[in-house]
Amino acid sequence: MIALTDPEGTPGPVPAIETRHLAKRYPGDIQAVGALDLSIPTGSTYALLGPNGAGKTTTISMLTTLAVPTSGSALINGIDVVQAEAQVRQQIGVTFQEMVLDDALTGRQVLDYHGRLYGLPASERTARIDELLELMELTEAAERRCRDYSGGMKRRLELARALVTVPQVLFLDEPTLGLDPQGRAMVWDYIQVLKKRTGMTVLITTHYLDEAQQLADLVGIMDRGRLVAEGAPASLVDELGADTIRVAGTGPVDALVNRFSDLPFVQSISRVDDGLLLGVRSSSRHLAEVVTLVTGEGFVIEDVSVAKPDLGAVFFKYTGRQMKDEVQA
Amino acid sequence: MRMSVSVGRGGMIGVSLSIWHKHMRKFLGNGEELFGMMIQPILWVALFGIGMKSLMGGVAPDGSDNYIGFMLPGIIALSAMGGAIGGGMVWLDERVRGIIKEYLVAPIPRLSILLGNAGSTVSKAMFQGIVILFVGVMMGADLNSEPVGWLVGFLLLTGYALGFSSLALVIASKTDDLMAYHAMIMLLNLPVLFLSNALYPMALLPGWMKAGALVNPTTYLVDGIRQTVLTGTGELPLWLCLVVTITFAVAGLFTAARVFTTGTARS
Repeated sequence: MIALTDPEGTPGPVPAIETRHLAKRYPGDIQAVGALDLSIPTGSTYALLGPNGAGKTTTISMLTTLAVPTSGSALINGIDVVQAEAQVRQQIGVTFQEMVLDDALTGRQVLDYHGRLYGLPASERTARIDELLELMELTEAAERRCRDYSGGMKRRLELARALVTVPQVLFLDEPTLGLDPQGRAMVWDYIQVLKKRTGMTVLITTHYLDEAQQLADLVGIMDRGRLVAEGAPASLVDELGADTIRVAGTGPVDALVNRFSDLPFVQSISRVDDGLLLGVRSSSRHLAEVVTLVTGEGFVIEDVSVAKPDLGAVFFKYTGRQMKDEVQA
Repeated sequence: MRMSVSVGRGGMIGVSLSIWHKHMRKFLGNGEELFGMMIQPILWVALFGIGMKSLMGGVAPDGSDNYIGFMLPGIIALSAMGGAIGGGMVWLDERVRGIIKEYLVAPIPRLSILLGNAGSTVSKAMFQGIVILFVGVMMGADLNSEPVGWLVGFLLLTGYALGFSSLALVIASKTDDLMAYHAMIMLLNLPVLFLSNALYPMALLPGWMKAGALVNPTTYLVDGIRQTVLTGTGELPLWLCLVVTITFAVAGLFTAARVFTTGTARS
């Protein structure tokens, strides 16, 4: 069932998730996802990071057989999500962006019915559910109806539900959406523990930069339906340089780009909406020099800011926009 | 937590039973729903039955002297329809809230979701039917002394409830709006009761109403139950009641199955 070589014939392990030119167009000519190429190794945690509307949820919907791609293909453990949807469904666990719990049921019942749907025998269900309740620290609340659960408890219960059937690939769509910082930190901890214990492949979508940085081995930055950058969070951030200096204003940006590309202390240059984003070895040492050079080229500075780079700066570098700009969109 | 679970296939029946089980557990655990479902038909029998009985002087429109017995099958039909509408509402709610995504990403046949839903509606209709019969007998209706007749009656009710439950599920699959669902249902609801032989015999109806009653499955359920569960006389042959009711169930399930396997499947 699981191919040992990929269709190109190159030997090697089959990625847990693989997409080729995966695209989804909705009626009204809305391109939600366009030509997405992903290759996510088995056992890794991959975060799809991007603002709302970037196409993350549509991607998950296609990978979990909820939506049919308009073109391209997607494989889970080498199995095509369109051709063999039933087999794919056997191998995956999913938590959705919105909380989908039947809140008239107790926590234990929610997990039990989920196990029944997948045909797990009663003895196996009981043992597994006890174990998961314990892991998610829900044992004491197990016999309470989940309408009385807090937001964080509901999320943990959904996480437990996705795990009842021991999926090989786990999809978590915005797993901490709507939680307070403490709740988010707890969910992160559970995901980390799970990863250690099970070694499963996890695909997380998030628009929280710190979440991607904390949890993921690999981050794919999505913007407007496309993957704009990909890599380990640390290396993506390192590419920017030790510090970033952002210069906003009006003037000849092209001339500035040329001017800065020759300077040894500049590690990266990107054009952004209203100016430039520079990665430099040390902002404290070079800030004055940068300002002098910029003004010297006839650029009128409105704002200068200095920061330690993070994934937000990476997003800014590749899209020229701040991630939070789009959250309202 | 070691990873060696065989995610087995529950199979169509197994999965349908799981979904049915969940609905029934929720139903039996919800005191208000249980209470409402028992009280509503009792009120119908008690209030409407007693009112009409006094109006008719105890004489049923079919000439027998038992009006309560005459109207019981109609109340059973009405309750089954109410149950089907409720089943559709649950489905609509689960759809709108996204709860059904849990089913849609699971390796289960779409048809089992339909059968589980329709099955729980039928079970509730049975439960109500028994309550109604019990109240009816307390108020003077005469039960058939042959238990075989009861079985045929339950077969008729199963077919009728399956048919209406499927219809309600189809309507609930086609709209995302609870108000629109109710509007559609109300449109169905009234003629189904009044354009039938539930409250008056067909012989008394003008031709156009009689024609309407003859295309209404309620007529066949009511007539069949009068003949089998109770001691009334029917206006239609029993075999015809069975054929029409079962055909209604099969046609309803078939339509709903098509909607479930194509419509709700994927976007």
